Amino acid sequence: MKNLIIILVALFPALVWGQIDRSIRPTAGPAPTINIKNSEVFKTSNGITVILSENHSIPKVSFDLVMDSDPILEKEKAGLANIAGEMIKSGTSNRDKDKLDNEIDYIGASLSADQNSIFLSCLSKYTDKGLELMTDILFNANFPQSEFDRIVKQYESGLKAQKSNPGQMANSAKSKANFDNSHPYSEIMTEESLKNISLEDVNSYFKTVFTPKGSYLVVVGDINLEQTKELVEKYFVSWDGPAAYVNNTLKAKPANGGQVYFVNKPGAVQSVVSITYPIDVIPGSKDEIGMSVLNNLLGGSGFGSRLMQNLREDKAYTYGCYSGFNIDENGSTFSAGGNFRNDVTDSAITQILYEIGRMSKEAATDEELELIKSSMAGSFARSLERPQTIARFALKVTKYNLDKDYYTNYLKNLAAVNKDDLLLLAKKYLSAENVNIIVVGNESIINNLKPFDSNGKIEKLDAFGAKVVEIVAADITADKLIEKYILSVTESSSMKSAKKKLKKIKSYTKISELSAEQIPFPLQMTDVWITPNKEGNKMEAQGMTFNKSYFDGTSGGSSSMQGGKVKLSDDEIAKKSKSKGLFPELNYSTSGMIYSLKGIETIDGNPMYKLEYSDGESSNIDYFDKTTFLKMQTISTKKQGDEVVSTEMTFSDYRDTEGIMMPYSVSLAIGPMILVGTVKEIKINEKVNLDSFK
Amino acid sequence: MKQLLCLCALLIFTQNGHAQKKIDYVEYDLPNGLHVILHQEKTTPIVAVSVLYHVGSKNENIGRTGFAHFFEHLLFEGSANIERGEYDKIVESNGGTLNANTSNDRTYYFELMPSNQLELGMWLESERMLHAKVNIKGIETQRSVVKEEKRQRIDNQPYASFITEIFKRVFVNHPYNWVPIGSMEDLDAAQEADYVNFYKTFYVPSNATLSIAGDLDIAQTKEWVQKYFGSIPSGQAINLYRDFENLSDEDFKKTYSLDKSAFDAKDFLNSRDPQAKKLIAKELSNPTKINRPENYKGKMTTVIKDTVYDNIQLPAMFISYNFPNESNPDFYALEMMNDILSGGNSSRLNKTLVEKKELAVNVFSFPYGMEAGGVGIFGTIGSNGANLDTLLLEFDKQISTIQNELVSQEEFEKIRNQKENDIVSSNSTIAGISENLANNYVYFGSTNRINTLLDGYMKVTKEDIQRVAKKYLTQDARLILYYLPKDNK
Repeated sequence: MKNLIIILVALFPALVWGQIDRSIRPTAGPAPTINIKNSEVFKTSNGITVILSENHSIPKVSFDLVMDSDPILEKEKAGLANIAGEMIKSGTSNRDKDKLDNEIDYIGASLSADQNSIFLSCLSKYTDKGLELMTDILFNANFPQSEFDRIVKQYESGLKAQKSNPGQMANSAKSKANFDNSHPYSEIMTEESLKNISLEDVNSYFKTVFTPKGSYLVVVGDINLEQTKELVEKYFVSWDGPAAYVNNTLKAKPANGGQVYFVNKPGAVQSVVSITYPIDVIPGSKDEIGMSVLNNLLGGSGFGSRLMQNLREDKAYTYGCYSGFNIDENGSTFSAGGNFRNDVTDSAITQILYEIGRMSKEAATDEELELIKSSMAGSFARSLERPQTIARFALKVTKYNLDKDYYTNYLKNLAAVNKDDLLLLAKKYLSAENVNIIVVGNESIINNLKPFDSNGKIEKLDAFGAKVVEIVAADITADKLIEKYILSVTESSSMKSAKKKLKKIKSYTKISELSAEQIPFPLQMTDVWITPNKEGNKMEAQGMTFNKSYFDGTSGGSSSMQGGKVKLSDDEIAKKSKSKGLFPELNYSTSGMIYSLKGIETIDGNPMYKLEYSDGESSNIDYFDKTTFLKMQTISTKKQGDEVVSTEMTFSDYRDTEGIMMPYSVSLAIGPMILVGTVKEIKINEKVNLDSFK
Repeated sequence: MKQLLCLCALLIFTQNGHAQKKIDYVEYDLPNGLHVILHQEKTTPIVAVSVLYHVGSKNENIGRTGFAHFFEHLLFEGSANIERGEYDKIVESNGGTLNANTSNDRTYYFELMPSNQLELGMWLESERMLHAKVNIKGIETQRSVVKEEKRQRIDNQPYASFITEIFKRVFVNHPYNWVPIGSMEDLDAAQEADYVNFYKTFYVPSNATLSIAGDLDIAQTKEWVQKYFGSIPSGQAINLYRDFENLSDEDFKKTYSLDKSAFDAKDFLNSRDPQAKKLIAKELSNPTKINRPENYKGKMTTVIKDTVYDNIQLPAMFISYNFPNESNPDFYALEMMNDILSGGNSSRLNKTLVEKKELAVNVFSFPYGMEAGGVGIFGTIGSNGANLDTLLLEFDKQISTIQNELVSQEEFEKIRNQKENDIVSSNSTIAGISENLANNYVYFGSTNRINTLLDGYMKVTKEDIQRVAKKYLTQDARLILYYLPKDNK
């Protein structure tokens, strides 16, 4: 038969060479109609929304049961949800794990579970059996201790392996950079947090999250509505549970300037780069289709995007460079990046930022816009080949209450996106200035990254996104350090002359100007001190006093515009009374301060002595420069009610002021607020009246 | 009870029969040697246009490893009628998508287009086949891109070099000694003559299979096949034409002792000049030749033990055995044996090494069947602190069991069901179908194998599984490759 065909072909007029002009591109035939098949949606009496997408092209069926619970904050038990998800298939009261695994494999099915869902896929002739197994784990999972121990052990190994996987390392860093630590997305399982997770935690997690209320059952494949209804009735309606878990405190961490996060991967030949920040948008937003066009133009899936053309096709920095909006009901983000060989990592970042910035400055060309829209329309049409797509559409429409015709009108709405829309969206959602820049790579390139960081302070993270503290043992004692510090600030060669010098200083008044991005006008701060321990502080702006405080040796208090007047407690007075002198460090040994020298930590390449001290109320860390012994930074943490408040002060620009070295630049960070201060004036031994601070 | 259960299961099985969907297709050869396969599937208005060139890394010369894959990248650079950078744009701006991949044995290009752009897809592939064009900027860019691909996929990923390391040791004096990504040095060494020769030798219609699937009209598609691919010259005439397009007058004359002006640029094959006519006739009947040595040696004959030090935290172990070519009838049984050992959670190796003994984080294996040889690879990443010698001991126990005992009826039925599920799933997209059709034709000489694959597995008996386990899982000829953290060195 095959030979016959060949003969027939050979009989055709030998060659038609002259008739074809190859320089003419074939034109398109009439556009095919794109039909989106309808999905059936119905709700069960126990609160499950069932979505059915029928497709009989292959004899397979799948059931995806997805919970409606919000993510849960795990704190010191970060990773609990992963362990719980992993445990779901560990056996039931009817079948131990071996039996369960055997029965799943026996029908050639795939049954998987994670922290939020259970998924079954099997040949349609085994649907009944598959559902019996699926609901057995849903209703009767019994979480045996032995399996828990085994899975924890597996995770211990997995965490170890994670330290060599650059993609995972970058993801951990991204989570930490983009989300506040009150947000579950910022939580990363570590060796430490894994130890804190117990079997009871797993049990209670499962009970909280796996409930029919608000859940979705997405059914796809070789099954009809009647069969689906029957099976749902048979297997799912007897299921009961509490209302879905709601988490109302899902805070992102808006990026402010450029912040570089570096994760060291020894021996890396490439850097994984991700430029990322949180964005404010939810699924189903009216901006979504436009954002999709915007992203495809910048760095979507095709070869034609700006990032791909610039970084791959023009500069050959990479195999692929992509961007994406991750639109998530619990916290959305933008990210762009790729893998780049070590020596072009910084150039690649420059180019990505350039392309991001260009999006909101230059309108797309007609050609670009048409290319992207056609490519997206094609991709939309291709996606319809998979029945899962239809189901996904239906799920989204139902879950986010979208217009029923959202997907039917998708192509029409896509076609309507214009250049001006894109510019507006770019301004709204894309920034090249306020960005977290994550780099996982070889330590040898870290210095090339400094220019991308607004304050030049690269934050080093470990494989799990935690801050890296590089600390070595100190070569001196705490008391010796304090001595060196005093000698340094008094510019003396002996403690005797230092103390003599300090004795001459009876009082000072320091006036500084503070500014912060969140405050439209500068603040004026006045600090006064009178020997041995009287002090006052006030903050003013535009003729108003916002805040003042004082201590006159026996009593004290503060008053602020919001808080009114507060007196110092007896306890506080006792503490203040003990802390004497211009440099209270000199009295640490007698004032009841608990202090110790932790070692030498390298911060931004500068070795610093780290002195920890606590008066029982607040815990503090002072950093002293290893060469000059000057105090460069103080971090204080104090409990206020249930909250821990942390204040970070940075000192620089030390100048001689009547024989004493004083910092003329002081910045203050309280939570997200950063106040940058410059000392305008320091007056020594002039008369000071504390009354104006009371 | 167990037996009863098995009996019931068997009953269900026979009642329902196998679920494989029949794939209809037409196939034929063009006079220039191009093999054409067409499959109509109208569910979604899209088409897949693909061309499989029967050239992979095994056709590379030593010193030029990685060339076939590098060349694949270059063939997106354009043609006589497509400017650099336009190829992707034409596809994407017409609602399509495209890509390619290179294996040890073949290079595969495809476009997925809306069905009304089928002709465009065919034109694009015919341009690539007739007269692809590459300039220096393109070469240098793609050279770097390929190197980045290697860094991203292999050099910078933990354990990712294992295939390279295994092939290096298993296939000695064999063109599978290296893998498609090749080496950085060889990529740098590529010269202009290499590109020209490679294109002229391997990118000819007689070395290609055009497979088109999707929402198409067979008669119309055949017409377009004739128009765009039927017009590509046979034999060496294609290279005469390429030289005519690419060489300077002087070089052309040097090569063919004839002036370019003797040919008609618009209607090349029908040039009127008698000398040109003669030369064209000669080259049309001068077949292109591809040297394909059939029987490579280079199998392992002893136990090889070696260690790779990598940027990893957990140690790993890879055991490899000599396997036959993928077209060897034993391959069906080998794949089923493989499923018994590592297919799914209930598989023997997972149950013992990972779950019961807790010696490993995971275990996986695959029968790597290729056209001119095969290797069975078993890999396992050890648990934190696990001893690899103990792991090997436990692994060997499982190998010895499958060699010495017949698999149970229940296990046997299980893997049959798994295979059925796999095969049903494998033809769920038109992209998958067009690729499977082409592969079956090229590697197995039977396009229809796409429809009989399941039968092949269903013929395998329990005894076959035991037999191939004994024959191929040889204790005295295998590779034991350890991966250890660099700090251990």
